[in-house]
Amino acid sequence: MAYNMTEVDNNNFQDKSTDETLTKKDLNKMAFRSLFLQASFNYERMQSAGWLFSMSPGLAKIHKNKKDLSKSMKMHMEFFNTHPFLVTFIMGIVAAMEEKKKDLQTIRGIKVATMGPLGGIGDALFWLTLLPICAGIGASLAIEGSVAGPILFLVIFNIVHFGLRFGLMHYGYKTGVSAIATLKENTKYLSHGASILGLSVVGALIASYIKLSTPLVINAGEASVALQEGVLDKIMPNLLPLGYTLLMYWLLKRGWSPVKLIGITVVLGVVGKYIGIL
Amino acid sequence: MFIKALLIAIWAGITGIDLYDGLTHIHRPVVTGLVVGVILGDVQTGLIAGGMLELVWMGMVPLAGAQPPNVVIGGIIGTAFAILTKQEPNVAVGIAVPFAIAAQAGITLLFTVFSPVMHKADRYAEEANLKGIDKINYLGMGILFVSYFIVAFLPIYFGADTAQSVVGKLPETFIAGLSVAGGIMPAVGFAMLLKIMLKKEYVAFLLLGFVLVTYLNLPILAVAILGTAIALYDFYTNKGKGDDSGKEVISDGI
Repeated sequence: MAYNMTEVDNNNFQDKSTDETLTKKDLNKMAFRSLFLQASFNYERMQSAGWLFSMSPGLAKIHKNKKDLSKSMKMHMEFFNTHPFLVTFIMGIVAAMEEKKKDLQTIRGIKVATMGPLGGIGDALFWLTLLPICAGIGASLAIEGSVAGPILFLVIFNIVHFGLRFGLMHYGYKTGVSAIATLKENTKYLSHGASILGLSVVGALIASYIKLSTPLVINAGEASVALQEGVLDKIMPNLLPLGYTLLMYWLLKRGWSPVKLIGITVVLGVVGKYIGIL
Repeated sequence: MFIKALLIAIWAGITGIDLYDGLTHIHRPVVTGLVVGVILGDVQTGLIAGGMLELVWMGMVPLAGAQPPNVVIGGIIGTAFAILTKQEPNVAVGIAVPFAIAAQAGITLLFTVFSPVMHKADRYAEEANLKGIDKINYLGMGILFVSYFIVAFLPIYFGADTAQSVVGKLPETFIAGLSVAGGIMPAVGFAMLLKIMLKKEYVAFLLLGFVLVTYLNLPILAVAILGTAIALYDFYTNKGKGDDSGKEVISDGI
C-alpha cells in the first residue's frame, strides 16, 4: 500500500460518530449476501472481494463519509479466507466494530485472528461430519430408488446450514469480540462429539456400500470351498471392504493422491474381472 | 436431445455456482442424479447412479488448498451417461472420474486467471465504489455459469451417441470390470474422510458403526441416531468436567 504523506491518519476513521445502528434487517441482508462469499474467488486474495460484497450493506450504512468508506473497503480487500458457513460469525463481530468506529488495525487483527481457526472448525464440523452423515442417509435411500433420498438430504443439510449462517451473524454482532472466547471453549467439546458421530457413520458406510467380494473357489482334492462364503465370511463379513478401505487410508497417509487411488481401483476392477478373482 | 442437453447444461451452470456460492448443496450427486434423471426421463436410474456417485465423492470436499475431482461435472456426466448408454449405474462411476478431473483442472485455471481482477477491485475500493465490487462478484459467478454450461453441454450433446457406440464395442468383461471398480470406489472417498478425522481415541466408534451394520444390519439412519446419542452424552459429560476455569460455557447451538 502506498504511503501518503498528506493522509494524516490511515488507522482511524475521520467521522467518529456512532449514530448509525445496524438493524436486524441489515444483518440478515449481509448474511444473505455471504452466500456469495466465494463468487470472485481467486488464488491471490481468495475470498476478499466476496467478503467485501457481503459486508457491503452494513458498510454503506455505517460510513456516510466517503473517505472513511474507502479506508474500510481497502482494508476489507486485503487477503481473506475462512469457512464459507461460519464466516457470518466474523462478519457480525466486524460489523459491530465498524459501527463503533474502532481503529482499522484492530478490526484487521480480529479478522486475521478468527479466519484461520474458524476455517479449521468449519471443515471438521461441516465437510467431515454434517455432509457425510446427510449424504450417507440421502444416498442410501436414493440407491433404493427413493425420491426421499435427495429431498431428505437437502432438508437436513440446509436447516443446519441456514440456521448457523443467520444465527451466527446475529450472535457475533450482539456479543462482539467477547464471542471469540466462548466459541473457542465450546469448539473443543463440539468437535469431539462431531468426530464420534462422524466416525460411527463412516464405519456404517464402509459396511454398507463397498461392494467387494471374490468368486474364487479353492479346490483341495475332492472338496471345494468358496473363498468368500466358506472362508472370508466365516472370519468376518465385510472383511474385504474394510481391508480395502484401510489399505486406501494407509496409502493416503503415505502421500498417495486420491486420483491415483481411483486409477488403481479402476485397474484392479478390470484386471480382477479378467483373471477371475473379482 | 438438444433441448435435454441444454436443460442439463443449465442445471450444471446453476449447480456449478452452488459448489462455491450458495452452498445449498443442490450440486451433490444425490440431488443432481434425480434432476438429470427427470430431464432424461429415467428417474430410477438417475437416483441410483446419483446415490452411487455421492458415495464416491463423499470424502472429496473442498478442504483448504485441496482440489478434488469436480463433483458437479462428475455427478452430472456420470448420471447422464449411465442413463444414455443404458449401462449399470456402477459403470457410470468409471466414466465420470476422468471428466471430473479435467473439469477441476479448468476451475483451478479460472481461479488463477481471476487474480488480476482484484486490482480492479482495489481501484473500486479507493473510489469507495461498492457497486463496482458488486459487479466483480457477479462477473465471477457469470464466468462460473458459462464454464460449467459448456463443459456439461458438449460431452452430453455430442458425446452420448459416440459413447454408446464405443461402450457397445467394448468387451463385456471390461464393462463388468468397470462395474466392479465402481462398487469398490467409495472406499477411496471413505479413506479420505478417515485420513482427516481418524484419531486413536475415535477408532472405537468407527468399529462400532461397522459392527452395527455388518452383524446387526442396522440402517445408516439408526447408526447416525446412536452416534448422536453417544456424542451428546460425551458433550455434556465432558463440558462440566474439563472446565478448570470454573466458568460455565453456554452452548449457543453452534
